[in-house]
Amino acid sequence: MSDGQRSPTTDSGQIVVSGLTKQYKNVRAVDNLSFTVASGRVTGFLGPNGAGKTTTLRMLLNLVTPSGGGATIGGQRYVDLADPLRHVGAVLEASSAHKGRTGINHLRVICAAAGLPKQRADEALALVGLTPAAKRKFKGYSLGMKQRLGIAAAMLGDPRVLILDEPANGLDPEGIRWMRGFLKGLAHEGRTVLVSSHLLSEMQLLADDVVIIAAGKLIRQGPVEQVLGSMAQGGQVRVRTPQADELVAALRAQSATVETGEHGVLLVGGLDAPAIGKVALAAKVELHELTPERPDLERVFLELTAGKAGIR
Amino acid sequence: MNLVRSELLKIRTTSTWWIFGLISLPLWILALLFNWLQTDALAGGTLEDVPAEQADQIQAVQSADSLAANIYTNGQFFGLLIVMLLGIIVVTSEFFHQTVTTTFLTAPHRTAVMMAKLVAGAVIAMLFWLVTTALNLVFGALILNSVDVGAQFGSGAVWRAVGLNALAYLLWSVLGVGIGVLIRSQIGATVTGILLYLGGSIGAIAVLALLASKYGEWINKLQVAVPSLASSLMVSGAEIPGNPPRWVGAAVLIGYAVLAGVIGALTLRRRDIS
Repeated sequence: MSDGQRSPTTDSGQIVVSGLTKQYKNVRAVDNLSFTVASGRVTGFLGPNGAGKTTTLRMLLNLVTPSGGGATIGGQRYVDLADPLRHVGAVLEASSAHKGRTGINHLRVICAAAGLPKQRADEALALVGLTPAAKRKFKGYSLGMKQRLGIAAAMLGDPRVLILDEPANGLDPEGIRWMRGFLKGLAHEGRTVLVSSHLLSEMQLLADDVVIIAAGKLIRQGPVEQVLGSMAQGGQVRVRTPQADELVAALRAQSATVETGEHGVLLVGGLDAPAIGKVALAAKVELHELTPERPDLERVFLELTAGKAGIR
Repeated sequence: MNLVRSELLKIRTTSTWWIFGLISLPLWILALLFNWLQTDALAGGTLEDVPAEQADQIQAVQSADSLAANIYTNGQFFGLLIVMLLGIIVVTSEFFHQTVTTTFLTAPHRTAVMMAKLVAGAVIAMLFWLVTTALNLVFGALILNSVDVGAQFGSGAVWRAVGLNALAYLLWSVLGVGIGVLIRSQIGATVTGILLYLGGSIGAIAVLALLASKYGEWINKLQVAVPSLASSLMVSGAEIPGNPPRWVGAAVLIGYAVLAGVIGALTLRRRDIS
């Protein structure tokens, strides 16, 4: 999604976290964390398990009291929002409904509390494709259905801002695909979508921006390509050929660097793929593979958070 | 008001309320049978061999007002317990099923949520009181007529007892909600509540009696400070000689209910939901 789709009218959905800190007895779960989340984009909130993602989101939503700093959504603290559900929808735990209550009643309870009309419950269920299971009790729902019900609950007030904590957890590939399309669609409508996850491959497909934290501290923030670009691996190209010696000689003549990888794969630096193809053609060398190596988010992430992950 | 509607909907959309209703029914029948026998015995004056110092008390209990008040507040002992447990569950089920997150996202002002829960608990308590009292007025009148005491519907003391009974239902539901906030664990809160209601009185009497034997008789007067004893004093059918007046029991119980509500609200406001 391009920057051109961000319009000033949707910017009231901006999330600003500034100096947020949570000190538990022995652990500083979140440490002076600041970042912003733009509307009209999907922002991935990434970090290893225990990095403080959930605590941050819960402070943003007034469920956990910060030890320091604060956070606003569209310029207001969550607790100051007059009709919170009409501004912000949040999906925090898959299993947060009474087991003996039906899906539709779960939503009606929320509608009643938020002063929303009852038919919003039916509409939200239809939106996530749960209408056939409306009158089934929550304990009979699969994990994927529970996630969908959580999203339906978040969508009741048709909010500008969506906040989801690990929504892909426990979803099957079909469910993940659905979720990806759904969230991208919401961002496309100009909404703010903040999604926490430790599943990096998923984020690479979903997010426009990323905020990476580890040990409660901000590691990197920015558009996905920019974060990936900053960690580019020198633009190596994978090459496979039955005539390795001739190609290596030809490439070195063009002052390219060549390393030999596993199974006879050549990792070529200093030339891009078209240039390598040209060299190979000139040297009459047969090519079986010519693949530019892209730095993936997973690797960037591991490098950025190296030594900061894990148990604290 | 939206929050109260939502809380009532929460109760209505789970099986808890009718399960408790089903439990209440046999307990009410049991209590009615017991009170029938007791009324029969007292009205028949068959308890004659009593020590002189207790004669006054027996006489008070034997009065028509007292008999009628007793039978029209029938089922109260377990009714109050049920209402308190419902109050506990109104809160603890939110933690048990992790719905408290959604509740506070919908209504970030937690004091309002606490108030809504108290009101919802009170509404349920009043429903239980209403149904029980309606049944009591029908069957109680039959029993009183059968022992030749008469229905006593004209007696102010009877209606006072019925009214105080309503107050008791109300206050125990508030206490239940308060306990639920302080002890989030469903089982922990339920057990504590039951102990407070049943065992608490016996234990307190034993402890107070022990202390009284050591420090003097006045300590026994502290019995009224124990919630369950204050409650039973408040709803005793008539003034019984030797006991503190009923309003003392009412005042003590109201005090506990207010305390439970306030501490509960303050606790809920500060608590991190994670």
